[in-house]
Amino acid sequence: MGNKIYRYSLAGLSTLGICMALYVCLSSALLVALIVIALAIVILSVGERKNVIDKVYRLIGDNKALNLGIIALFILLLPFLVQGNNYLLHIAIMAGIFSIVALGLNFQIGGIGQINFAPAAFYGMGAYTSAFLSVKMGLSPWLGTLCGLLMAIVLGVVVGFPALKARGYYLSLVTIALQIIFTLMIVNSPWIGGPNGIPGIPSYQIGGFSFRTPVALGGIQLPYQVNFLYLVYILLALFALAANRLYNSRVGLAWNAIEQDPIVAACQGINLTNTQLLAFCLGAAYAGIAGAIYGHYTSFIGVENFDFSQSLIFICMVILGGTDNVPGVVLGAVLLTMIDEKLRDFSGYRLLMYGIVLIIILIIRPKGLLPKRIRVYQQKDRSEYSSHSAVVTGGSR
Amino acid sequence: MELIISQILNAVMLACTYTLVGIGFSLFFGAMDIVVFCLGDVAIAGAFAIMALSTVMGVYASLSGILPAPISGIIVVFIGACFTAGLVTLMYRAVIVPFEGKNINASLLSTIAAGIVIRELIGLFYPEGRNPHAFPQLLPAGLIGDNVLLSWRNIIIIAITFIMVMLLYWFVNRTKTGLSIQAISQNKEAAIMVGINWHRIIVITFLIGGFLLGIGGFLTASYFNSLRFDMGAMYGLKGFCVAVVGGLGSIYGAIVGGLLIAFVEVFVTAFIPGGTAYSSVAAFLIVVLFILFKPEGILGEKTVEKV
Repeated sequence: MGNKIYRYSLAGLSTLGICMALYVCLSSALLVALIVIALAIVILSVGERKNVIDKVYRLIGDNKALNLGIIALFILLLPFLVQGNNYLLHIAIMAGIFSIVALGLNFQIGGIGQINFAPAAFYGMGAYTSAFLSVKMGLSPWLGTLCGLLMAIVLGVVVGFPALKARGYYLSLVTIALQIIFTLMIVNSPWIGGPNGIPGIPSYQIGGFSFRTPVALGGIQLPYQVNFLYLVYILLALFALAANRLYNSRVGLAWNAIEQDPIVAACQGINLTNTQLLAFCLGAAYAGIAGAIYGHYTSFIGVENFDFSQSLIFICMVILGGTDNVPGVVLGAVLLTMIDEKLRDFSGYRLLMYGIVLIIILIIRPKGLLPKRIRVYQQKDRSEYSSHSAVVTGGSR
Repeated sequence: MELIISQILNAVMLACTYTLVGIGFSLFFGAMDIVVFCLGDVAIAGAFAIMALSTVMGVYASLSGILPAPISGIIVVFIGACFTAGLVTLMYRAVIVPFEGKNINASLLSTIAAGIVIRELIGLFYPEGRNPHAFPQLLPAGLIGDNVLLSWRNIIIIAITFIMVMLLYWFVNRTKTGLSIQAISQNKEAAIMVGINWHRIIVITFLIGGFLLGIGGFLTASYFNSLRFDMGAMYGLKGFCVAVVGGLGSIYGAIVGGLLIAFVEVFVTAFIPGGTAYSSVAAFLIVVLFILFKPEGILGEKTVEKV
């Protein structure tokens, strides 16, 4: 009994530690943030060498409700922790939005093992559709977001279709080409603003309450970002949950089978066409909704937010965090967004930083900060199979 | 009529600039089964080196004092091309060797990232690197006779490409090293077994490809008469498109593909109203269609995926 309470509190403490580390990264200066990240990486690699990490994973996995509660509480209290500082809240919102896109991109990179260089096109498709419909047509932003989602899925089919025929380098060329075509089409289409973008995008409203009005919560005047913070993180929680369920479902397994070998996967009865298109469409749906929210949040979108370098940043996030690992992808997106914002003063070095970070991760930690974990399946009857645990865990032990 | 002839000449020149970088892609893919995505940036880095030699460092000016202008121009271009060859070999050591034999996605990403690093380094550290520069005129200006179409610059661009392709043809088919490159691209294990020093041949391939890229960068900069630090991204992408359309791994395919892509671009620009903005879109669409329906390219060999 005592042992159980001990494990319970330990799990809570480790989650709390992760939240606090993220908070320190968010609120402090660049140098402190980098030191915290470096410390975290050291702890991570030492833990891996001593096999502590597995225990921590199990600890957190066993007490899911507690840990999710702590994270939810952390997000809920974040506006008060930063004392309504709207810049820090803005970073947190962007981290949430990018996490959603990265989760969607992970279906392609982590799932079916094909690098899609056009996530920013999906993201931009959602943003532009929703913004265009609500600015020019006067549609409600909520409906606009839905349309953005649908249009992004259409684009997902367009990008995913070549993936059925081409793999590897050829697919990368196709996706890069489609990303560049997307950017060029936007620049050359004056009816959606061309190079000037779309200004004055209306915000979401619920029954007359605009999301762009500041709120007073608990006697503290909080900036309007709070509304979007909660909206984005509720969606992120839903999407992360969905992504996790997908990973553990037959669909996730089928994706990984295709990643290993498409021909063998087809022989095992996996429908290559549907399964691969699903990876692209779902990814596009994630990115599309994130893009639509971004447009309604910032009230201005321009083509520079959706170009090829933005795609590369999304890819960086997935690779840094750890492919095919939902917490890893979110962590990668959150960390890179925060570092990126801290480096605002050195904006000339941004892309250089992304390039170098990508090369270094690929060389030092090709599986990312939180590597993909070996799938473990629950045993139906422990007593009967316990001696064959190696078979059940896929031969990892 | 005159318009069409001038457009054809224009397309051939554009094809020349694309062909050289396309050959680079094909050469490396043939030798190593790898696509090096930073080649466009490497080529533009070579062009920047040539520009630095002839303006900032003043090598061209001091050489011109001793030697006749064409010869000093050739020397400067040669040094720049050698620099590019060194840079490509450095790229090979830095971002390709660590990923040999691993998932191709790793080398794909690392070479793209390397391209960004090169581009940004030029932008940051070349004097006023982020502004467009006028490329120094190393090629003679002026017209041949009184025909408006034929200028020395155009003829020389086409002639240099022709000479380079001929030299490469001679090297690959007539020398022992060139035959070794072919052997490696056909079957690596068998080539090693008959005593070919694989590592040495790969480095030589990269040096030769890098030299061609340097020339290609120089020709591109001369063709556009200007140089920007981020030209390399599009240039490299077009080069890869050219290689894919012609058939990845085939050197002659790069020539055919270069002509096709260049003609499409030039004719869309010239004959479709408002087409300037869409020339790249048309070129990319053609590549996408090729990948979907004829992925082996025009001259490439059809391969069947085996289990």
